[in-house]
Amino acid sequence: MNKISRVIRREEKLAVFPIACADHCAHLLNMNYSEVASDGTKLARALEHGYRIYQYDMVLVFSDPYVEAQALGCPVKFSPSPTLLGPRSNQSIDRTEEIIKAAEILKRKVDVPVFVSIKGPFSLASFLVGIEEFLKNLLANEETTSNTINTALEFQIKYLERLLKLGVNIFIGDPVASSSVISPKLFERFAFEPLLKLIKKIKEKELIAGVHVCGDTKPIIPILDELGADILSIEDITPKTRTLKMGGVSTETIFSGNQTKIEEEIKQALIESYLILATSCDVPMETDSKNIKLMMEIAGAYSND
Amino acid sequence: MDFDNIKKAVVDMEVEKVKDLVTKLLKNKRLPEEILEKGLIAGMKEVGRLFSCKEYFVPEVLMASEAFYAGFDLVSPLIKTKQMKEKGKIIIGVVEGDIHDIGKNIVKVMLEASGYQVVDLGKDVPTEIFVDSVTRENPKILAMSALMTTTMMKMKDVVKSLEHKKLRNKVKVIIGGAPVNEDFAKRIGADGYGEDASAAVSLVEALIGE
Repeated sequence: MNKISRVIRREEKLAVFPIACADHCAHLLNMNYSEVASDGTKLARALEHGYRIYQYDMVLVFSDPYVEAQALGCPVKFSPSPTLLGPRSNQSIDRTEEIIKAAEILKRKVDVPVFVSIKGPFSLASFLVGIEEFLKNLLANEETTSNTINTALEFQIKYLERLLKLGVNIFIGDPVASSSVISPKLFERFAFEPLLKLIKKIKEKELIAGVHVCGDTKPIIPILDELGADILSIEDITPKTRTLKMGGVSTETIFSGNQTKIEEEIKQALIESYLILATSCDVPMETDSKNIKLMMEIAGAYSND
Repeated sequence: MDFDNIKKAVVDMEVEKVKDLVTKLLKNKRLPEEILEKGLIAGMKEVGRLFSCKEYFVPEVLMASEAFYAGFDLVSPLIKTKQMKEKGKIIIGVVEGDIHDIGKNIVKVMLEASGYQVVDLGKDVPTEIFVDSVTRENPKILAMSALMTTTMMKMKDVVKSLEHKKLRNKVKVIIGGAPVNEDFAKRIGADGYGEDASAAVSLVEALIGE
């Protein structure tokens, strides 16, 4: 059994994954990020390279946050990095097939669990109408909001079913649902059920379900626990959870390369009985690879203690 | 009491009510400066307080900002720009490649509600536009935000470019956004970091001595 599964089962204390994704891994190889984000073979090549260099315990197929939004018609610009230009229009470009291709390749090539990142229906819905408009509608027009979330959910269920056929694990990222943006009450009202539906589908196939929410999550920890996911990737790992936590090292710390701070944060994180030691979000593209290697080394040293 | 009603309508996010109340007070010959200060700005200050103590979140602040601007648009043409000029000009924008402008918009409304003149460059702003605007507008503060780890380094490019054009000592640079913090601000040579909109206003006040 792999390390991630053993930590989920509380049979082992620690697994490690500095969240190195397409942009950073492409940067390591001097590959063009836009090409990597649009081509499954290149995406797999970049992510495999990251894995070989750092030897972490899982691989995450994540190119950028807008794959599904673009497939649903949101315009996305690829310069210098994928940028969402506006709400849904009729300019649909479907890159989901490329993500699936990358996941298929990686599943054959690496011997750690492969996860694919998909967007939470709440965050995806916000991209479809524009985040500001969406957030206002949460208070001003509940019906419109629910309809948009349902559109996003329907799309994600179909996408998820295609991914689950490959036997890959899933990470659902729902950054717009964090308590840095919306109240716990609105999370419960609009974000919870769609997430729960996706997680149930993943669990039915006996695959691993992770949830990633950036920003403040302290007020919604009890609700996040109710989702029944296997892993909760959050910025602040100090609150107690039933779900296995993932995190512990701030993205800024790993980017800065401050050895003392990296060591301090890892030491603090290892107070947890069981943990996937990770960065709080994906590492910035230009992060020096020696900083990530340092994180792997320190984590290795502590776990051998 | 009239001003308190406006303040309450801003806090309660009631756009039409704010418009009606402000229109009524203007008809009754109340000073637009007073309506702005004691009604609209007082309302946004309360919204800022509620946001800081996690009673209000971004949707509530956005709706309250709409209510604020509904009144602000009625009184601002009637107010001499003297006060705003005295308090200072601030340029604000989201860096290139990043279109997440909600945080920037909230900081903008809080700064305007605090009496600053704000020049909003919008989102996905190229480095040269920030630098050109500093040359043209001569602001006291340049405020930048980024919400993605892929775009935060653009802030460093702007600071470097200001140095290159010998403009750096003419303007204070402040930054904000989810992936950045105080350490990052120091490392790229910015003058400060604001964790949220209220912190941004306090930072501006500290930096330019208001």
